[in-house]
Amino acid sequence: MGRDIALSIRRDDAIAKISGEAKYTCDVKFENMLYGKTLRSKIARGKIKSIKYPSLPEGYYIVDKDDVPKPNKLKILKSDMSVFAQDVVNYVGEPIALVVGEDKEIIDNILSKIEVEYENIQPILTLEEGLNTKEPIYGDNNLFADYVVEKGDINEVKNRASYVYEGEYETGYQEQFYLETQGIIADFKDGKITIYGSMQCPYYIKNALLDFFKADSDKIRVVQLTTGGGFGGKEDYPSLIAAQAAAASIKCKRPVKIVYDRDEDIEFTTKRHPSKIKLKSYLDDNFKVIGMEADIILDGGAYASLSEVVLQRAMFAISGVYNIENLYVKGRAVATNKAISGAFRGFGAPQAFFAIEIHMEHIAKKFNLNPLDFKINNLIKRGDKSSTGGTFRDEIKLKEMIKRAEIMSSYNEKKSRFKEERKEGKLKGIGMSLFFHGGGFTGSGERDHIKAKVKLLKKIDETVEILISNVEMGQGAMTTSRKIVAYTLNIPIEKVIFENPDTDRVPDSGPTVASRTTVVVGELLREAAEELKNRWNENETLIVEADYKYPEGYEWDGDKFKGDAYTSYSFGVNVVEVEVDSITYESTIKNVYAVYDIGQAIDERIVKGQIDGGIVQGLGYAGIEVMENKEGRFLQRTSSDYIIPTSKDVPYIYSELLCEPFKYGPYGAKALGELTFVGSPPAYALSVEDALGLEISNIPVRPENILEVLRHGK
Amino acid sequence: MENKIKFILNGEEVEVLCSPVKRLLDVLRDDFNLSGAKEGCGKGECGACSVLIDGKLINSCLYPAQMAEGKEVLTIEGLKKSRIFEILSESFIDAGAVQCGFCTPGMIMASYALLRKNPNPTEEDIREGLSGNLCRCTGYNMIIEAVKMAAKRGEGLW
Amino acid sequence: MVKSYKPKRLEEALQIIKNEDCILFAGGTDLMVNRKIYFDDKNSDKKVLFLSSIEELKDISSDSNYIEIGSMTTLCSVEKNNLIPEALREAAKSMASPSIRNIATIGGNICNASPAGDTLPYLYAAQATLVLESIEGSREVYIGDFIKGPRKKDIKKHEILTKIKIPLKEYDIWEFRKVGTRKSTALSKLSFTGLAKKKDGILEDIRLSFGAVGPTVVRCRDYENKIIEIGKDIKIPEIIDMYSSIITPIDDQRSTAYYRKEVALSLLSNFLLKL
Ligand SMILES: Cc1cc2nc3c(=O)[nH]c(=O)nc-3n(C[C@H](O)[C@H](O)[C@H](O)COP(=O)(O)OP(=O)(O)OC[C@H]3O[C@@H](n4cnc5c(N)ncnc54)[C@H](O)[C@@H]3O)c2cc1C
Ligand code: FES
Ligand code: FES
Repeated sequence: MGRDIALSIRRDDAIAKISGEAKYTCDVKFENMLYGKTLRSKIARGKIKSIKYPSLPEGYYIVDKDDVPKPNKLKILKSDMSVFAQDVVNYVGEPIALVVGEDKEIIDNILSKIEVEYENIQPILTLEEGLNTKEPIYGDNNLFADYVVEKGDINEVKNRASYVYEGEYETGYQEQFYLETQGIIADFKDGKITIYGSMQCPYYIKNALLDFFKADSDKIRVVQLTTGGGFGGKEDYPSLIAAQAAAASIKCKRPVKIVYDRDEDIEFTTKRHPSKIKLKSYLDDNFKVIGMEADIILDGGAYASLSEVVLQRAMFAISGVYNIENLYVKGRAVATNKAISGAFRGFGAPQAFFAIEIHMEHIAKKFNLNPLDFKINNLIKRGDKSSTGGTFRDEIKLKEMIKRAEIMSSYNEKKSRFKEERKEGKLKGIGMSLFFHGGGFTGSGERDHIKAKVKLLKKIDETVEILISNVEMGQGAMTTSRKIVAYTLNIPIEKVIFENPDTDRVPDSGPTVASRTTVVVGELLREAAEELKNRWNENETLIVEADYKYPEGYEWDGDKFKGDAYTSYSFGVNVVEVEVDSITYESTIKNVYAVYDIGQAIDERIVKGQIDGGIVQGLGYAGIEVMENKEGRFLQRTSSDYIIPTSKDVPYIYSELLCEPFKYGPYGAKALGELTFVGSPPAYALSVEDALGLEISNIPVRPENILEVLRHGK
Repeated sequence: MENKIKFILNGEEVEVLCSPVKRLLDVLRDDFNLSGAKEGCGKGECGACSVLIDGKLINSCLYPAQMAEGKEVLTIEGLKKSRIFEILSESFIDAGAVQCGFCTPGMIMASYALLRKNPNPTEEDIREGLSGNLCRCTGYNMIIEAVKMAAKRGEGLW
Repeated sequence: MVKSYKPKRLEEALQIIKNEDCILFAGGTDLMVNRKIYFDDKNSDKKVLFLSSIEELKDISSDSNYIEIGSMTTLCSVEKNNLIPEALREAAKSMASPSIRNIATIGGNICNASPAGDTLPYLYAAQATLVLESIEGSREVYIGDFIKGPRKKDIKKHEILTKIKIPLKEYDIWEFRKVGTRKSTALSKLSFTGLAKKKDGILEDIRLSFGAVGPTVVRCRDYENKIIEIGKDIKIPEIIDMYSSIITPIDDQRSTAYYRKEVALSLLSNFLLKL
């Protein structure tokens, strides 16, 4: 019985969410539970000279650096961040202490009475300052990472190039703005810490806490609760809150809950890395791009977090979907005295794709070429080498996808029609972007660091429980995992159970990030299910396991950044159409069209949900989501000022799939979740550029900037 | 001075002793253990806390308990018992309108408020009707589809 | 703990505030956002007077000279009522979100005295007056004289804004334009209101006002009179120059001074072209 896995099924988690019965962290209460609120640094950089705490009412506690084990460093990738400020603070909002107690108003009152005396140090607030500082925040050169990726021979190309083009591109901050703010509950009982909360990566929290509290593995347990969106924002940051809540619970001997206010979450938690990217391309006389130099600088904020891997993904994506045989890519992640830049859907790729897509368009314009023809002329195809010298092994359907997108959107017809309409004062424009996303961890991360393991538990009643550490956070992981298992075993979906992970029950199948859950973990589930199918008739309860195996024939050298940075690539083409108001320069998005190659849809409705959601987040990033930092504080730090798209800001989105299956993905599936974000920012910027006839090199594209450029050419 | 405030909650007369400016959201969540209305922002920006008061959509995070005195408050928990809920929830499921779900109870309340006033909304009406309810996951279109679907399926009910 | 009153009649309310300092609570959409500042519940002996049960403050009526809008009229009712001039209805419709418009009031928008209050520019342009009542009697004041600066207004502790009186006048050309940060639930970067009346091709009256480009709404009757005086021969660049000197916005988290000023002037120029 061949069931079509692409056909959508009911989401089991939906009804509890609709009816309000699903319990998110804010909804969960434990007996005797206390609340914690964070005392934060008011300055961007300085030494703490003294802290004066008021006398506390009965049942209220202060938890700070004196309540945690030395050296008070939390391990994310590096161990540079204190759980509570030790003696320096490096950004406005850095946690110094928790005030814990029963009544939130009394907690607020205590917080307002704490006096912290600082000795100010000149903060580093821009990339330029960060690159040239004599007082580094991190290491001795103030860089969280400093890499070079080389391919071919760039110097040789310089001599034979017929044309050269250089451009500089900038992208801004973006806040995840998951609708459920960060929240964690810690419960210390009988020598064991249990963490409940909103999270993407239960084992990241567990491992960070094991290291922090120097505990034995069985003394820390992490349980995910229904999670109201993550988008990367609940990858690394929950480890920090969990460590704080745990320290508080140990001290107070009661469960302690921390749930952030929206404004606290906006201003102080991790965000997308702002970037500054310089690209210099060398072209031969047929306008083939034969070489490119890139200089990528990311603003990492105050602590290292995931900056090094975000930077790697940005660097590996910088040549876009183009076959550029000679590359020299320099990348740096700079420390600054601002909130930590962390993970956010796309993880460095959106910055790179914005730069390369705009760059290619500008090259075409400069040399009077049709931009799309020029891009197609440079496209990668199967067999070509990636930026790191790996091989694109699978068929690349980009040309077909572009054709499809052209037809869906009437691209060429609109291009010329809008040109006419612009003469009559209607500022309409259309833009197209081409892009990919590498599935799973960069390089050999899956093989060397994650080493995912999954388990299936068959019970006597012939139900099968999925035991993995990946979470449902809205993206549909619960449904897709269950489908993969049910379809492989050929049993009804109701027989397959997926509970929120609890590290005491599930093996470490890795974090819920990098679009890896379906491609990597899903494939392991499929393998385990195959085995279970063979052993189905062994009665008794039965556990089968599957461990990650690096696919044969792929190679990666993580020191030299050589080889296959990813084992699979998903592709996309986006078209965005806008109309710009000729007086206010506000843009209205009229239409969006999208074509993707994701290998195989595991559930078409879930796929569509990812597409729509990703595109709209990308449009927000490129358009209205502005976050500027002045003197160390964000100007847009409340939900009234940091704004995300509403239902009136976006149009219907037309999307189609055109898939090339991946041999090592379950049923051929490739990465999806992040891919959907990557393409809309450049397509949007290009459509505005088309509407106005000027060059746009920065996002967000604010009406304020457009006006400046139109009036002052800059 | 604690005020005694009486109102009708999901069809039942109730009473609560609290400060007159306590947020209705907190009254619902703390005093009545109804956690379907969520706090997404606490500032009227996101609609996650939406409930109906005398049939009108309001943000319970901005609504003081005292003003509810004598009024009918309807939360998702109250709506849940109705045929209307069945239609809305089935449509939300069929259209794929639910991802992380944090916005969803609020979206349902906003959809219901809209359909009560306007049983045959255009797409533009729906976008307007839901414009105070933020969703970061879906990009809205599948929610709009769900409301269209519900309008049709529930003809005559609104 | 906060103490509250919830009178049903205006008379009663005026009596209460005669003797006691009360925070007047209309829809509460401004107050509740800042509730920690206003109420500081646990430790305060603040008193709140809810206006929402006073039905007489929700009337909308008109005679041959004025249309009168009760201060407790919600933005939603303003938007829907066709006695109310279209430009004001447009302004109401552009504000916040449907759920907020269900409870936010026009009186609250005025008394909040924010430079970005979106009903204000129209009310300035239409020469609206406000009726302020106390137990001792009532007085009327032009909205432009009532609002003194951001959050500053000419009101006594024992007074309530009860009505907004808008002189009835047909404007055949009108425009309200709000430039917000997004298409819903957006605060104004700036706004422009233009009203004009022409008879037999001659400009009889013109009213121009700007929101969020200064500490209070910008409107200048002298300049308007000048435009009427010049009539047919108006030179738009000269008018723009004139207004340029009184539009003095700032840079903030929503926009830049430069953008606000340039776009305000472009909207003005665009309106003048339509005359
Ligand atoms: C999410 C959100 C979006 C918003 N969007 C907009 C927008 O787009 N445009 C805009 O202009 N505003 C906006 N606002 C602000 C607010 O909604 C409006 O200003 C609203 O009109 C205020 O009315 P209210 O009845 O809620 O006022 P309240 O909060 O009740 O009162 C505001 C102030 O006026 C005083 N007051 C009220 N009534 C009287 C009276 N009759 N006599 C004397 N004093 C009185 C109160 O004491 C208080 O100081 C928004 C607010 C929120 C939360
Ligand atoms: S919580 Fe009430 S609107 Fe966001
Ligand atoms: S489903 Fe997650 S915010 Fe709407």
